[in-house]
Amino acid sequence: MNQSSFKQWSSALLKVWTREFVLVFSDIGVLLFFILLPTIYPLIYTLIYNPEVVHDIPVAVVDNCRSTNSRQFVRMADATEAIHIVGYAASISEAREWKNEKACYGVLLIPHDFDRNLNTHQQATIEFYCDMSLLIRYRAFVSSLTSLSLAYGAQVRHQQYSLPSSTPVNSHAVFTGNPSEGFASFLIPGILILIIQQSLILGISMLGGGRAERRKINGNSDPLTIIAPSSASILGKALCYTVIYIPLVLYMLLFIPTIFNLPRSTNIIDIILMSLPLLLSSSFMGLSVQKLSSERESSMLVIVFTSVIFIFLSGLTWPRYAMSPIWYGISSLIPATWGIEAFVNINSMGANLNLTATPYLMLWGLTLAYYTLAIVIETHNKKSAKAISSVNKH
Amino acid sequence: MIFATVISSLKREFRNLISRRIYFATMIVVPIASACFLLSLLGDGLPVKTPVAVVDLDNSTMSRQLTRTLSALQSVDVAYRYPNFNEAMNQLQEGNIYGFFLIPEDFEREATSNLAPTLSYFCNMSYYIPGTLSFKGFKTMAVSTSGSIVSAQLLGVGAEEGQVDTILQPIVIQEHPLNNPWSNYSIYLCNSFIPGIIALMVLLVTVFSVCSEIKNSTSPQWLHTAGNSIYIALLGKLLPHTLIFSTVAIMCQSLMYGYNHFPLNCNALTIISAMMLLVIACQSVGLIVCCIMPNLRLALSIVSLLGILSFSITGFSFPVESMYGAIGIFSYLIPVRHYFLIYIDQALNGIDIYYSRWQFVSLVIYPIIACFLVPLLKRRLSHPIYVP
Repeated sequence: MNQSSFKQWSSALLKVWTREFVLVFSDIGVLLFFILLPTIYPLIYTLIYNPEVVHDIPVAVVDNCRSTNSRQFVRMADATEAIHIVGYAASISEAREWKNEKACYGVLLIPHDFDRNLNTHQQATIEFYCDMSLLIRYRAFVSSLTSLSLAYGAQVRHQQYSLPSSTPVNSHAVFTGNPSEGFASFLIPGILILIIQQSLILGISMLGGGRAERRKINGNSDPLTIIAPSSASILGKALCYTVIYIPLVLYMLLFIPTIFNLPRSTNIIDIILMSLPLLLSSSFMGLSVQKLSSERESSMLVIVFTSVIFIFLSGLTWPRYAMSPIWYGISSLIPATWGIEAFVNINSMGANLNLTATPYLMLWGLTLAYYTLAIVIETHNKKSAKAISSVNKH
Repeated sequence: MIFATVISSLKREFRNLISRRIYFATMIVVPIASACFLLSLLGDGLPVKTPVAVVDLDNSTMSRQLTRTLSALQSVDVAYRYPNFNEAMNQLQEGNIYGFFLIPEDFEREATSNLAPTLSYFCNMSYYIPGTLSFKGFKTMAVSTSGSIVSAQLLGVGAEEGQVDTILQPIVIQEHPLNNPWSNYSIYLCNSFIPGIIALMVLLVTVFSVCSEIKNSTSPQWLHTAGNSIYIALLGKLLPHTLIFSTVAIMCQSLMYGYNHFPLNCNALTIISAMMLLVIACQSVGLIVCCIMPNLRLALSIVSLLGILSFSITGFSFPVESMYGAIGIFSYLIPVRHYFLIYIDQALNGIDIYYSRWQFVSLVIYPIIACFLVPLLKRRLSHPIYVP
């Protein structure tokens, strides 16, 4: 490329860039996706999950033993994090009735021989019936019951065998990236990245639909489109969206985790560096698919549900190592997948950009790939548009 | 006369549905493809072999034995050994492993001489499932290591084999996970997310179909076909959708309960009728939004926001009871919440249908409210104004 054609190219780029600003800020529908959605959604989502952990889940007791030991065991169960004893049911069928009415989600059954077994140095068994409608409750129960049986066991050993209640080996668990084992701390970082990608794609598709509608009215040419080479036109638009999103990214990725006390990083530079290829690749992806929508609104019908698919593909809920090669491959093509991995590594796990090189480089790879794809599609469309308008003229 | 207008309205809508690809895509392809996607992705039910690492600073007989036992666990895959903490921590931060187990220096010596050394384990809880699985594996290891040392000591001082178990674990808590003993994630996630996607698509298509008539100024003609009755017009438009969506949704249910043998502890007709009521309830919510906001773009935006939020606020994963009261209360406004509760009581737990009575009643309330509001829509339909 010689100097003058580069000059032309960059002035075209600048024109596209400024025109796109005008188009975005004069369209309320687009602003809804570009500004309002990224502002409001993180707040709503975090408020939903902010209680973080499930604790004091109602549990009924059926005590067929009725001894000092069994009552003491129930008191210890009540003191655990997950379990809140709501009352003694007379029989297992009464407890089932409570469970059916959602008065409890678990039933603790103490058999009649509990006390005798303890006193005759035999292993005593206690049954726990757990409702499985939500796995998070089951998880909380299991964790509390495990520590309960260990603590009670140590106490019995101490009282009956005069053995030390401490164990010969201590254990110490560290939950990195989410010390409170909370649900918001786990889900919100991923959701924030997905909101960035999806709101960009929705807004861009709506802009594309608007262009298509203007073309329909004006005999297949859009009066508001700047004539520019495809590479400049695509890049100019993407840079416009990226600039609009930078303050939003700061708000979502730095401010939201801070005000809700979620895991957060002080590494502002790395977070900005990481979000650049995320914004660019999502924009190029949006510009590649925008031709699918022939009118402003139909894009919403096909894009909204993909958020659910993308969150599953990202590996946040279902880890990527457990995916089949097909789904693993498809998930690698979604910017949010790598964006989430990079952001979780930096934000929650305290990694630096160096340690998160794979997802970071993948994001740049996708940026290049979607840029090329968007140019190819744009060039193809221009050719077919020209063909149609020349047919119309004759 | 009425019958003829109903028939011509139905015909008009069927022509409309066939003429545009978007209906085929959103009403049939998206729900079925999403269902197949989720069922295939989560097919294993529980991810096995979470990649983890061991840092063995002791390198003794006992620590090597510990590593071997850890490798034999189903839930974790000891894919790496690292010589020190820093290297393992870097791998954890990079996301190559989801946890690691640290055996300190002099572990064997201290453990056998009652100096109580500490086994540490680090789990990446920013990924819930693999983090939890590695935690479970590590915890089991730590407890059983402790147990095997105590039992060696007890046997050393002359305890009998049979007694040792009782002393180690005087009480056993037997857990009975009711109706999903495998704690299978596929059963739990598919049963909430597949109906959620169907509900979302019903909302979107209903609003799109009704408001497009206003946008394209075809609504007077639509009303005219229906003999100028808003109720016949809506019946003609929405009944074909109800039929198509119900058929698609029942196909998705048969994929879950038939092909994949998910627990179905009630009469199949119960869960099928709940699904059909869900479709109608979502159509009604879509219609209510159209009545309040008869503008295609705004109405679509509202149902998109509502539909996506409903995956979270209906408590599919985080229970409504644990949310802030002011937030959780909104879950009851969303039809798919009631369907989800019916699914839990009927299909999963198989209890008496009496306990689901309020959920069924709630699902019926939506169309009743919609019926009261549609006269509002009629004015807009006869004088369509599109605000771009």
